[in-house]
Amino acid sequence: MNVNVDMSVNIGGLSLRAPLLTASGTFGSAREFSELIDLNRLGAVVTKGVSLEPWEGNPAPRIAETSSGMLNSIGLQNAGVESFCVNDLAWLESEAPQVPVIVNVSGHTVEEYVAVIDRLEWEPFIAGYEVNISCPNVDAGGMAFGTSCASAAEVTRACRGSTERPLIVKLSPNVTDIAGIATAVEAEGADAVSLINTLLGMAIDVGTFRPKLARGVGGLSGPAIKPVAVRMVWQVARAVTIPVIGMGGIMTAEDAIEFMLAGATAVAVGTANFVDPTSTVRIVDGMAEFCHARGIERVADLTGAVLA
Amino acid sequence: MTTCGCAHHTPPRVLENVTVVANDRVAQGVGLVTFDSPRIARDIQPGQFVHLRIAQGVDYLLRRPFSIYRAHAGRLEILYQVVGRGTRDLALATPGTEMDMVGPLGCGWRIADSTTHALLVSGGLGAAPLGMLAEELAERGIAVTVAMGAPCGERLVGRDLFERVARRVEIATDDGSCGTAGFVTGVCGEMVAEGGYDAVYTCGPEPMQRIVAAQAAEAEVACQVSLERLMACGIGVCLSCVVETKCGLRRACVDGPVFYAKEVVWDSAHDVTCER
Repeated sequence: MNVNVDMSVNIGGLSLRAPLLTASGTFGSAREFSELIDLNRLGAVVTKGVSLEPWEGNPAPRIAETSSGMLNSIGLQNAGVESFCVNDLAWLESEAPQVPVIVNVSGHTVEEYVAVIDRLEWEPFIAGYEVNISCPNVDAGGMAFGTSCASAAEVTRACRGSTERPLIVKLSPNVTDIAGIATAVEAEGADAVSLINTLLGMAIDVGTFRPKLARGVGGLSGPAIKPVAVRMVWQVARAVTIPVIGMGGIMTAEDAIEFMLAGATAVAVGTANFVDPTSTVRIVDGMAEFCHARGIERVADLTGAVLA
Repeated sequence: MTTCGCAHHTPPRVLENVTVVANDRVAQGVGLVTFDSPRIARDIQPGQFVHLRIAQGVDYLLRRPFSIYRAHAGRLEILYQVVGRGTRDLALATPGTEMDMVGPLGCGWRIADSTTHALLVSGGLGAAPLGMLAEELAERGIAVTVAMGAPCGERLVGRDLFERVARRVEIATDDGSCGTAGFVTGVCGEMVAEGGYDAVYTCGPEPMQRIVAAQAAEAEVACQVSLERLMACGIGVCLSCVVETKCGLRRACVDGPVFYAKEVVWDSAHDVTCER
């Protein structure tokens, strides 16, 4: 595409060719999408959450479709960090060597987050980490860490102590004051924050009187949550000086631009990957076209450009 | 280490723009839609599925997975039951309507070289992934026998195709309006016990598949089942459609939807039809 727009952005020292990442848990480790899109077009791949030991996840049904969105309660099912390194990371390194890989890290305890990072520090082919303190679908850890300033700060401090790589902390929207949490993790050395994770929700089958998810509650994603996400990105971007990665219901380039205007330095695309597996590249192209049509030379100029 | 589910090579998946060529009601609550879909129709194997985006600009987002009933001459035929908003919109689609689909997806029916006589057991819309299999088996010179069931004669699906390619078709209806009165599992149980089959393939409500699997196991005949799960991505990343197997959780979308029955850990939680 011959549009003369500088699409590069910088996230905590990590230089990305495009301001678009994949949202953790919606893109696997990229392999499944490699037949459908050119992975080199992405700013970075953010992997599915990785834990120290294999996690089984939650019972099925694990998803329910809702108006303009979906609920999920997958529960961070994954094969553990060792399997991740041997299988997923090895594939990425050999088949997509130009694409920065950000590993999403999960844990039940602070020690587990640190142990996962300690293991990943041995792998040269990793661009950075996204620390997941916001999953609503696990009983211990996950969102529990992301809903108080003190525990969010504690996890960030511990992870920071284990790595000099770019450290992104993924925030939960299920809080009263997300800017306060963002400020707390910034103070502990986070290089960037990403938001929002899913909103805690529930759907009930009126035919059977049972919750539609086996676990009862789950995380809401998709366009239904976009205005909440844009508002939170706007609040956080005004409160911190580190970059913000904005996400929540982005389906189109215009949605992505909206997050940039609210203060995001880059965006992530999640649920849209299920609806249209080519969403990421379509959105990157659309963002470049948008800038070109308006004479915006650098996509980074959009960040925080919302008029007061 | 044993593995459950798919291991063999599957054709590359593509996102293809497709056009509705025909869409007709073929039984009570059941439609047959034909798509012009040259790329996927060329590559898809029996038992694989496509992930169809029925509508855009509506407040439901996700694609719907559909088995392929027949694939020939650049066209795909899909049998569907109207069970929710997506399938209701599909039922209303007129020839010329454009949609897109991702496919071919998943791991289909395995046909062993040694197979000489296959028994296909279909319950209700279970014919959906079995039509293409029946044609493929017949083409390879493998004898096909079919046991098919439905609540009533008006809801029998796939009979014409099965009668065209099978040497024998046995029918059971719950109300006795066609064939033997009762569930298809009654008819199937007797047929399996008679012997002579070296493969059983089944699709239908999960309790039915579970019984057919037990009957096949009793007769020591390898049995494959095609399982339905709620699905979001269809390509193996979201982990929504997990099936419990003897080697742990497997994804219906890439490790299945076809599994060897002996691998499956049956769970009555999946006895309800996905409302899509």
